[in-house]
Amino acid sequence: MWAVVVRGFFSRKLRAVLTGIAVALGVALMSGTYILTDTINSSFAALFTAGEQNRSVVIVPHQGLGTNAAVQTAPISEATLQKVRTVPGVAQADGEVLSTVALFDARGTRLNKLAPNLVSSVLPTRFENFSPVLGSLPTTPTAVAIDQATAQRYGLKVGQRLRVAGSSVSATYRIAGIVKYVSSASFGGAGIALLIPAQAQRIADEPGAWDELIVAAVPSVSAKTLQARIRAVLPATLDVRTAAEQAATQTSNLKSDLSFLRTFLLVFAYVALFVGAFIIFNTFSITVAQRTREFGLLRTLGATRGQVVRSVVAEGAMLGLGGSAVGLLAGIGLAPALDQLFKAFGANLPDSGTVLEFRTVWVSLLAGTAVTVLAGLPPALRASRVTPIAAMREGVPLERKPRSVRRRRTVLVVVLALLLLRVVLAAGSGAGIATILIVVAIGVSIRVPQVRARIKAGFSALVVLVARALARPLAWRGITGRLAGDNTVRHPGRTAVTAAALMIGVALVSFVSIFAAGLKASINKDINSSFAGNLVVLDPNAAGNVGIPATIPTAIRRLPGIKQVTEVAFTEGKVLAGADTAALGTQPITAIEPNGFSQVYRLQWDRGSNATLDSLGSTGTVLNKAYVSGTNLAVGKTLTVQTPSGQVIRLIVRGIASDKAGLLGSMAISLSLARSAFSQRSDGIDLISYEPGVPNSQIQPAVNRILEAGFPQAESQTAKQYEASQAAKVNTLLTLIYVLLALSVIISLFGIVNTLVLSIFERRRELGMLRAIGTSRRQVRQMIRYESIITALIGGVLGIFFGIVIALILTAATLSGSGFVFSIPVGTLIILFVLSGVAGLIAAAWPARRAARVNILEALATQ
Amino acid sequence: MGPSGSGKSTLMHILAGLDRPTSGTVTLDGIELGTLDDKALTLLRREKVGFIFQTFNLLPILDARENILLPLSIAGRSVDQAWFDQLIDAVGIGDRLHHRPAQLSGGQQQRVAVARALVSRPAVVFADEPTGNLDSAASGEVLELLRRAVDDLGQTVVMVTHDAHAAAHANRLIVLADGRIVRDGAALDTDGILDLMKSLS
Repeated sequence: MWAVVVRGFFSRKLRAVLTGIAVALGVALMSGTYILTDTINSSFAALFTAGEQNRSVVIVPHQGLGTNAAVQTAPISEATLQKVRTVPGVAQADGEVLSTVALFDARGTRLNKLAPNLVSSVLPTRFENFSPVLGSLPTTPTAVAIDQATAQRYGLKVGQRLRVAGSSVSATYRIAGIVKYVSSASFGGAGIALLIPAQAQRIADEPGAWDELIVAAVPSVSAKTLQARIRAVLPATLDVRTAAEQAATQTSNLKSDLSFLRTFLLVFAYVALFVGAFIIFNTFSITVAQRTREFGLLRTLGATRGQVVRSVVAEGAMLGLGGSAVGLLAGIGLAPALDQLFKAFGANLPDSGTVLEFRTVWVSLLAGTAVTVLAGLPPALRASRVTPIAAMREGVPLERKPRSVRRRRTVLVVVLALLLLRVVLAAGSGAGIATILIVVAIGVSIRVPQVRARIKAGFSALVVLVARALARPLAWRGITGRLAGDNTVRHPGRTAVTAAALMIGVALVSFVSIFAAGLKASINKDINSSFAGNLVVLDPNAAGNVGIPATIPTAIRRLPGIKQVTEVAFTEGKVLAGADTAALGTQPITAIEPNGFSQVYRLQWDRGSNATLDSLGSTGTVLNKAYVSGTNLAVGKTLTVQTPSGQVIRLIVRGIASDKAGLLGSMAISLSLARSAFSQRSDGIDLISYEPGVPNSQIQPAVNRILEAGFPQAESQTAKQYEASQAAKVNTLLTLIYVLLALSVIISLFGIVNTLVLSIFERRRELGMLRAIGTSRRQVRQMIRYESIITALIGGVLGIFFGIVIALILTAATLSGSGFVFSIPVGTLIILFVLSGVAGLIAAAWPARRAARVNILEALATQ
Repeated sequence: MGPSGSGKSTLMHILAGLDRPTSGTVTLDGIELGTLDDKALTLLRREKVGFIFQTFNLLPILDARENILLPLSIAGRSVDQAWFDQLIDAVGIGDRLHHRPAQLSGGQQQRVAVARALVSRPAVVFADEPTGNLDSAASGEVLELLRRAVDDLGQTVVMVTHDAHAAAHANRLIVLADGRIVRDGAALDTDGILDLMKSLS
């Protein structure tokens, strides 16, 4: 029996290869994702560990809201440093500046736009991890050193000028050296500008203060002991860690930052595997139908149903394992390609070597094999229903048996196995894999016959309907078009599943494009209805907790024709008490200037009015209606809030308002409170309004000149320009998603190729007959091509249709009342439809040639 | 035997436990088939029944030897090498054991099929038009082979055919017409059978 399985597998090589590719591509994306993220993680871990080697203890401001909060914390004072130096056992202690900045080359080009850029201070030799590759470390107030990766990327040379724009000022320096960090060309993918301490403090707007203190112990004192001694003399607003702890903390913070990237990529891998499952299901279904006689023979010779099922399942397992193994290997090659993809979109991540963890191996092999086996299970069960008599007669229909208790038990076992798999995979952070397996299982086990029959019949009818409609124009092009149309509806179920594989990809692409179009339309509408000013000043590439310098408004207010400049800053706070559990936890907070905000920005008041803003003071807050809904919050309640610097304050709810453009976080507070209790020094955006009748052309250029001269990271935008820049951001993400979804579409093309090849094999007699009565090879090719195009277009039409439906349902379910504008990008969808047809044409190229090569006599002789 | 549509094949399917009778009982090697479920019938076929088909029905992916041994490998039984050698000798395909069915002539394929039917030493071999797809020389060889299986190996063979020449090889001749037995008795020679068939139509 095993021989039958193995021989059978290898005798259907082509089929195995085509189906195997479907599995392999999905698995490749999955293993590639794991390899890439593991590589990045381990690169960072190595970097962090190496960076802490010459230190014993580090002191950093306590981040009460977690290290991922986008907030500023108060720097560490020089007095604290002096105090640390007096602790017994300290051999040396120094301060370091490490703050977000923007970098510009001599031509004014912004460097590393989508990566973080930092300014750091030169350290005493004992602690310094940077070493010059060319030139030297900065020693004068006008010198800067730049990391090697940035220098190479932008062709920076020693002696050139580099502009560094920080939290309050910007300054131009001369490049004294190109540096590496320990042994790495970049500081973990971030651009770095190294200055002497005084200059670094000036740029970071932290005169006489530090972001981090670095301590070395005398040889006789351990890091742990020293940590305890320092801890005893410092306030709780500072964290004291051993160097090893600091490296571990940084590594784990980074891991959680990057887990988003992993999840993002894995989603596409799951989609690809899901599409692959359709192809496997379809291929096995067709093959089982073609092997009816063989199964009948085996049954006649005494094979049990179980043996037949196991033989098909074993074949699926071999295919799945083989495909997954190929996919795993391909993933090793794909990981750098994914890295390049992200680089192309501007994200620089360090990647030294390739990290292949054992987890990657078993998760990839398990997921690929499980998906294949599960997708092959329904056809295997169908194979077991072949009666022995089928071996003797042609065209015996498969036995239809009422579902027995045993069958139901089988389903139960499958479900339990899946749950078990879910638990096992949870260890490999494979929630998504489990989810997709469960989806497949649902497909397998829609066991209520009436429901399943109705779904099947409904979908097949839909396919036939669409096929007929699509085939009509082709029928005018002669008999080949007619035949192609008829062929697609000959096995509606088969066409349906083939088209469904493409449909999933197309549906996701259309859903994403519809959602993006809605997002863009919503941005436009919301900006128009909310923004009452003329100009917005912001940093379009803002990274981390630094927005724009709070010194900008003062510089701009001096311009004639400006009526008002109002500052808005973003921070976060942790709600500790005063509300339902649902409303507790870290919340985004928007800080506004109470006296000018309402003149440039419209809020829809639920409780209170614009006048309420005047009563904010240092104890009041206005809550966002979206935050309030579903909780017990109301005007007059008092919230206990912990600020980023660790202070705990009380805020009284003064009003409730909704905000369409999303400027308001969960709550609004006064800017002065944010500056004091929240230690928020920089601004998020500035809103500007003009005196009546002053044209934009008179003011925006002047504003731009001021920004260019002093604050190069900031940009002014009119409402229209802001809309355009937001849309551009959406488009960038959209392109990335399209690229990743393309893989699923490619997989579904293999499905079309496979189905065509198998159905051509089935129809050899017919093709031979057509050729015998005078059909040219050309016509045969054309027929197959039309068939493929129709199938692909069915996938396209249904995909677009379901994409719209999903978008409608999801926006209605999750975004109703949020002012989301539903907008259908007709142009994009038409392009998508045409591309589906083109995809069909591409898929048909090879099968069509194969069909045209059919030998007439041989084809007629086969039975 | 009997003309087309007389119910030959249906009767054979019922006798072999492939199909169930609407009334009546079937007893095969002392076992009453009507009481058996699908699984038991499968095991019964495995142990007690051999099949020979008109279209040979060899698996194209296996070679001759593997095809012959297929019933044993399905049942997970080991090969009785002496018995296998004897069979190969009898069917005369010793030099063709590692050929695939596509590399064998029709007569050779059917001889492989005969060996496959005999390899598990079944109680009964059912042969469904075993010469239907063969020329007269190959037919003669296969019929001779079946005859020897009965005479030398003591194998019971039930053959369905509408070829008078084939039917003449049997010990007992049952003739069906329109689903009914119209004659059941000792075998006749070819001419006798042809006369009988003429008289029936």
